[in-house]
Amino acid sequence: MAIHKSLFASLLICLLFQISHGATKERLFSELEKGALEVTAKPSREGVLDAGIDKLSITWKLSSTATKEAEFTTIKVKLCYAPVSQVDRPWRKTENELFKDKSCPHKIITRAYDKSPQSFEYTLERDIPTGTYFVRAYAVDAKDHEVAFGQSTNEAKSTNLFSVQAISGRHKSLDIASVCFSVFSVLALLVFFVNEKRKAKIEQSK
Amino acid sequence: MGDSTGDTGSSMHGVSTDKTGKYDLPVDLEDRATVFKLFSFAKPHMRTFHLSWISFSTCFVSTFAAAPLVPIIRENLNLTKQDVGNAGVASVSGSIFSRLVMGAVCDLLGPRYGCAFLVMLSAPTVFSMSFVSGAAGFITVRFMIGFCLATFVSCQYWMSTMFTSKIIGLVNGTAAGWGNMGGGITQLLMPVVYEIIRRCGATAFTAWRIAFFVPGWLHIIMGILVLTLGQDLPGGNRKAVEKKGKVVQDKLGKIMWCAVSNYRTWIFVLLYGYSMGVELSTDNVIAEYFFDRFHLKLHTAGIIAASFGMANFFARPAGGYASDIAAKYFGMRGRLWALWIIQTAGGLFCVWLGLANTLVTAIVAMILFSLGAQAACGATFAIVPFVSRRSLGIISGLTGAGGNFGSGLTQLIFFSTSQFTTEQGLTWMGVMIVACTLPVMLIHFPQWGSMFRPPSTDPVKGTAEYYYVSEWNEEEKQKNMHQGSVAFAINAKSEDGRNAPSTITV
Repeated sequence: MAIHKSLFASLLICLLFQISHGATKERLFSELEKGALEVTAKPSREGVLDAGIDKLSITWKLSSTATKEAEFTTIKVKLCYAPVSQVDRPWRKTENELFKDKSCPHKIITRAYDKSPQSFEYTLERDIPTGTYFVRAYAVDAKDHEVAFGQSTNEAKSTNLFSVQAISGRHKSLDIASVCFSVFSVLALLVFFVNEKRKAKIEQSK
Repeated sequence: MGDSTGDTGSSMHGVSTDKTGKYDLPVDLEDRATVFKLFSFAKPHMRTFHLSWISFSTCFVSTFAAAPLVPIIRENLNLTKQDVGNAGVASVSGSIFSRLVMGAVCDLLGPRYGCAFLVMLSAPTVFSMSFVSGAAGFITVRFMIGFCLATFVSCQYWMSTMFTSKIIGLVNGTAAGWGNMGGGITQLLMPVVYEIIRRCGATAFTAWRIAFFVPGWLHIIMGILVLTLGQDLPGGNRKAVEKKGKVVQDKLGKIMWCAVSNYRTWIFVLLYGYSMGVELSTDNVIAEYFFDRFHLKLHTAGIIAASFGMANFFARPAGGYASDIAAKYFGMRGRLWALWIIQTAGGLFCVWLGLANTLVTAIVAMILFSLGAQAACGATFAIVPFVSRRSLGIISGLTGAGGNFGSGLTQLIFFSTSQFTTEQGLTWMGVMIVACTLPVMLIHFPQWGSMFRPPSTDPVKGTAEYYYVSEWNEEEKQKNMHQGSVAFAINAKSEDGRNAPSTITV
């Protein structure tokens, strides 16, 4: 019975945790101040960029239309999916509730807020998937809540987009190892089988 | 000790010709154990059990190894939801065909070779994940790996040659359940292996490929163990086995006809599609579901998903055991009722899983659903050995194939399109389970009855002996090919319920 009691207790604790978590009001993207930062993202070369190799020149500065500047403590710059890369991929969906939104999963840099224009040279990470992207910078307050943002594209997310080609993840050494083990498996089986048949023949002829 | 070929072409590897006091466990007329001693490795019975379930489990590990890593793989290969869904369908479709073939292979060549060949020849398919670079390659490789799920058939067949019918529910349920556990183990194993490889310095898109080497090596190890330590038959040399009437070489066409002309075979094909089938579908979608819907980390989603598959450890044997208990009091009718109740309950919990909005309710619903579906699998294979004695292999193969077909169909309808969200898909899958379990009411054995009808009172046609011997025609009976069925019918008297005689042992 002790195990039943402990199971019930853990279930109760989980339920309480669940209830308390659901009590706070969710923060929405639509409530953030739009265009508070002017963000540009310039690829290092023309055409499709290669992950792990090519760079982006990112700059951000306070826009003249910004009103909530007093609250800014940190700037979080992220790589976001353009709508074309979200089609048929519900795990990249844009949601209004900020904690649910999955359209900007790749962190570029986080810096303390500075009034002067900032820039950063970002080398595309090797785990960036193939897709079309833009850059967004969130202004975050002292409570780590987003208050405003700016992005390198327009509101419809159709201008100034750039494409990235992911690394394949394949390696020659891996390919060779794979072939070696496969061949070993098939050969081992054949050797065993032939051996057994041979022993059986010898037994029968005795 | 010879390695010549014995009964039905199967190898005599490991079979001792010394008959004095030779078994560790008490046996019946066909040298099958009447007792199930779990922690023993004694040959032949318990050793076969352990080799069988572990190699089957390895195949589950490799077939579902991709599932917990899908969040990484989908980014590496630029997959869409349809691609992920189609790969899931492909992973269970290959074995529809291979399970049928394995059924025939077991009937004709024996389960040891069947198991070892499949496990070792499918190792290259697992290793070939290193080469995959897009959706087409991913789907193809998952399809090819899926062929190895046919070890289910060799596993069940092997158990049926080693253990007597009175305990076959428990034995088959335990062997298959622990084998299916591989689908749960993999959800824990693969993310952990992936994480270790990443910490050693590999990038995400390479680490997952290296992780696949682990299931590949397991294939090779298990194949070698089965070949060196396994044996097809409990005992007896060829001459003694022939004298008891075991057939020299049955014809493929005959055993196929015997299987497909029995309507019960097809009802079980459907039923298993909605117990095992939904279990396989859930193995494919559940980790990604928890990851995406409840915003969990990859290995947390993996742990939850693992508990679905791991419930097999006790759920499936419990289903088989429940069936054996029901048979003790109510005979075959008890087995049929047990199956209907358990499988329908599983379906209702699946509906609840799709409707659950919080993490805790989802986990509770998932666990109850897993218990229902997996116990139903155990209860199904507690009955299948009684459908036919002559075509046991093929019927096991067809039923097993039905499981995979059900899985492929369900994944195609509910989890590969943008028409349903995953939670809607789960709810509808539950509804389909309840609907597709109703046909169990149609299964009727003249000698034992059905859910709503009592057994036949005809003194000739209402006997177990008539049922099993009628699988042979006059010509074959002249050649004494049917003696094995007579022995089986005697042992099957356990299905008469409370009227059953006490165990007949040797």
